[in-house]
Amino acid sequence: MKEQILGYKCSKCKTVHYPNRAICRKCGNDKFEIEPLPDKGKLLTFTHLYNPAGDFEVPVLDLGIVELSNGCRITGQMKIENPKIGMKVIGKIEKVRQSGYTSYKGMVFYKA
Amino acid sequence: MAIELEKLLRPVDNPVPLFPAKFVTLANGEEMVIRQITREEIPALLPHVAKLIQVERDYYDIVSARLYAELLGYYRYRVQDEYVLVAQINGHLAAIVNGRCLNPQVGVSYHTLALRRGLRIGAHAFAAKMEYHIDIMKQKEVLVVAESPIGFRRWMIEYQLEKRFEVAHELGGVPSYALTKKLFDRARSSLVVGRRPVPEKLLEKACEAILPPTDPPKPPFDLLAATRAMYDSTGTALRASRDQLEGGEK
Amino acid sequence: MREVYVVGIGITKFSRLEYPLVEIAAYPSIMAMKDCGLSSVDHVYVANMGGSRLNRQTALGSALVDHLSLYPTGAETIENGPASGASAIKTGFMAVASGVHDVVMVTGVERMRETNNLEATDFVASLAHPLAEQIYGVTLPSLAGMFARLYMDKYGVTSKHLAMVAIKNHNHALANPFAHLHMPITIEGILEGPEASTNNPFVADPLRFFDMCPVSDGGACLILASKDVAKKTKKPMIRLAGVGQATDTHCVHERKDPTDLLAVREAAARCFKMAGLKPKDVDVAELHDAFTILEIAESEEVGFFKKGEGHIALEKGYTALGGKLPINPSGGLKAKGHPVGATGVGQAHEIVTQLRGEAGERQVKNAKTGFSCNFGGFGNNVVALAFQKEK
Repeated sequence: MKEQILGYKCSKCKTVHYPNRAICRKCGNDKFEIEPLPDKGKLLTFTHLYNPAGDFEVPVLDLGIVELSNGCRITGQMKIENPKIGMKVIGKIEKVRQSGYTSYKGMVFYKA
Repeated sequence: MAIELEKLLRPVDNPVPLFPAKFVTLANGEEMVIRQITREEIPALLPHVAKLIQVERDYYDIVSARLYAELLGYYRYRVQDEYVLVAQINGHLAAIVNGRCLNPQVGVSYHTLALRRGLRIGAHAFAAKMEYHIDIMKQKEVLVVAESPIGFRRWMIEYQLEKRFEVAHELGGVPSYALTKKLFDRARSSLVVGRRPVPEKLLEKACEAILPPTDPPKPPFDLLAATRAMYDSTGTALRASRDQLEGGEK
Repeated sequence: MREVYVVGIGITKFSRLEYPLVEIAAYPSIMAMKDCGLSSVDHVYVANMGGSRLNRQTALGSALVDHLSLYPTGAETIENGPASGASAIKTGFMAVASGVHDVVMVTGVERMRETNNLEATDFVASLAHPLAEQIYGVTLPSLAGMFARLYMDKYGVTSKHLAMVAIKNHNHALANPFAHLHMPITIEGILEGPEASTNNPFVADPLRFFDMCPVSDGGACLILASKDVAKKTKKPMIRLAGVGQATDTHCVHERKDPTDLLAVREAAARCFKMAGLKPKDVDVAELHDAFTILEIAESEEVGFFKKGEGHIALEKGYTALGGKLPINPSGGLKAKGHPVGATGVGQAHEIVTQLRGEAGERQVKNAKTGFSCNFGGFGNNVVALAFQKEK
């Protein structure tokens, strides 16, 4: 099964939300359809975080906000050498955090 | 007889190049000199280290207790190949770092004690120590351990030190980490800062006397406050210390 | 709606305080009661964010009334992230304005340094979205870093402007005995000197160490009262003229323009509307500068300066003590400190001190109208307060 991050499309106005919410923020409808988010997009902004939380055993954590091709936005980690605002990126689902015995998967962006 | 016995007990230091003094400008614009001190200057440090043994927070107690012993060991010739660097601001003691050489190739980092906080003085002093081992004594690597979680974060994770778990570190026999020449070169931009030579006046002021630290970490008024606070939630016993703390500020 | 006045104030030094949470809350509360001469109140609101996680103490409201022997007075704890303090003041305001109570005590308190700073940062990060932000390791500094990058790109704000905010607030704090950091800093030391990269390393690029507020312990208290009670206390009549609160999306990425702080704009507008004031009426302001970039951005969003011109006002010295509109005369969160639950009350404490004319060396001359902005989440819950001196 291909791993995907799911968006939540309002069944009435078709706005895609990520993360999910109970009521559509555009039209107030409360019914959503699941729609996998696209993996391509452009980098909106980013940071190199030099003091990540205690459970990250890396010296620097690169984080960014990406506007996906469907207009939906997502926060994720990045593995990009010299990131620039506006550059094209492609996302992959990878393990992003290990907290005790629990691991979390999420979006990691690479240069497209 | 006594003299001969002392001769046996006293190790002979191997010759190594000395650490050339350097200076850095701190965030508040003050200039800090980092220099190597001689055995004769050790007694000037001891009282300031001793006071911090009572500061049972941020590992000041354990670091200063151990450092005190190491300084005394150096002064009384009971540690081989030890060195001590100090950082001074206007002559006032700001940090002490020490270590020794295990052999010509490998150094051992002992302690980093910042006597003034908030200006990243400890980071500068630690960096100078690593520079001494790798750049000046030309060693291959330095064995490091951290006593505090913050130290672990900074050194093991930030600099990504290599594991040398087969080597028990001289500080408590815990598994060692190593800062290698390669890692050092990668972090050169943050580890090797400071300028040489130190302007004559600045160095003169520093060498003249080691003055007491201006704002050393102070013990809580109640020495066990930090520990007890966890169990004594009404804090009745701590009332007096609170009043002192609030009323007695500067 | 009745008019509400601040009759008593109290504060601890923001610092590392090595005594229990409830003691940190009790001390400023006693100071405030002594300040106004009242020995009882009708209700107690305690603002706190991390007691349960950092200090293993919940139900602080009950703990505080007991400690002050105020029982059976009603009490509760109010948690609204880093805006808990101003939220509690707003709640106290509503209680008095509605006529339910005549005198209420609002105490903000936090003890963050019982744990190490990694834990503290992780704790504050728990206000980010758990699935869409927290799992990636998003912390508040990282959100501020992403915000700052975009903001600098768009409005021409530079690292030097950020450093200027830090230097200004550190200078202000020198005259504030309650401030956490009493340490002047220089542009050479933190940005332009050869050792600046080690003195002031990046934390969340482009934000550096000296762009961040310290992690502090501390408490502050305000006693609010109706006009009748306030007149009897014979203290300067400082009216809490307006309160405004607004929210924004939980995830920063969901905002249409991530450089807009809509909740700040809306909260300030609501606050000014209630008070019948305009931003230009303000003489002194305390803005939530947990990160230096926020002081610049908030000074625009609340309406003091046009969007994109906050850093120009800073350059001209308008926002320093002695300028047209001094911002953060207390040192702000940057240098006064940021005990999260206490911060909003601490800001109000400073404004009341200024309006009373009791601020000593950091006094803003003839301050009649003050404003504070307490910023919760990363701008997703903001409370603004306006104060006015009467007669």
